[in-house]
Amino acid sequence: MNDRTQVAERDQKPAARREADQPSRRMTLTPAVDVFEDSQGITLWADLPGVTKDKLEVKVHDGNLYIEAEAVVPTPTGLRLQHAEIREPRFARAFSLSPDFDTSKIDANLQDGVLKLTVPRRDEARPRRIEVQTN
Amino acid sequence: MSDLYSRPSPFSEFDRLQREMASLFSGFPSSIRSGRSGATFPYVNIGATDDSIEIVAFAPGLSAGELDVSIDKGLLTIAGERKPARPDASGDTRDDVRTYAQERFSGAFRRVIELPQNADPDKVQARYTNGCLSITVGKREASKPRAITVQ
Repeated sequence: MNDRTQVAERDQKPAARREADQPSRRMTLTPAVDVFEDSQGITLWADLPGVTKDKLEVKVHDGNLYIEAEAVVPTPTGLRLQHAEIREPRFARAFSLSPDFDTSKIDANLQDGVLKLTVPRRDEARPRRIEVQTN
Repeated sequence: MSDLYSRPSPFSEFDRLQREMASLFSGFPSSIRSGRSGATFPYVNIGATDDSIEIVAFAPGLSAGELDVSIDKGLLTIAGERKPARPDASGDTRDDVRTYAQERFSGAFRRVIELPQNADPDKVQARYTNGCLSITVGKREASKPRAITVQ
């Protein structure tokens, strides 16, 4: 009864079979995000319903931040999908990061299908108050 | 109107019901402060097995206690409210916060799903895991497929 199968359709059409040759061409959903910046850095929230920690990949490459995830929703065996608003279980989104940010100190937290990422500013890029000297 | 030879599939039937429900509720004015009118939250997938109707609502960032699931007269309602990720600046005035994206839904939501005739409102289970609300509605015994022995 509790087999872990995809609730979102896995397309089995011939078009989907080409996935094997071109894994980068997969259909993916763009997760909704909130992005805020304050003096400490960037905070990003992303909606990733059905995603667990082991199916989530957050990586930084060439100054770009990549979020890739796959949703797994336990469903009973023999399920026939009748109405689908989420048709793909894969999420992907990329952002470019300015060099002001310290990509080695990114903090990622996933809870209830929401990813919270904090990207701190480099110390030297933080706003500083400069004392004005008077003679 | 409908073709005598092509049976309506349960798929199109669910889609039609969803469209009808959506148009039924779209007439109400939405909050003037909800910037994104027409945003659907949560997204819902519906499927069926021989024994049950399975509904999955993709509602991340909530807790089980914040979700209100009810069945009345064959209508399944999923309602609740999702708070914004960053509360209004009230307590945060010292810091200059810039907003670059605010795409995630926040505010009150309600989805109504019409259950088929054979749904049994006494056999409902709802579970919230990893931001997905899974609802299982049992089917009445009489409607389950049965093999009939030929004498």
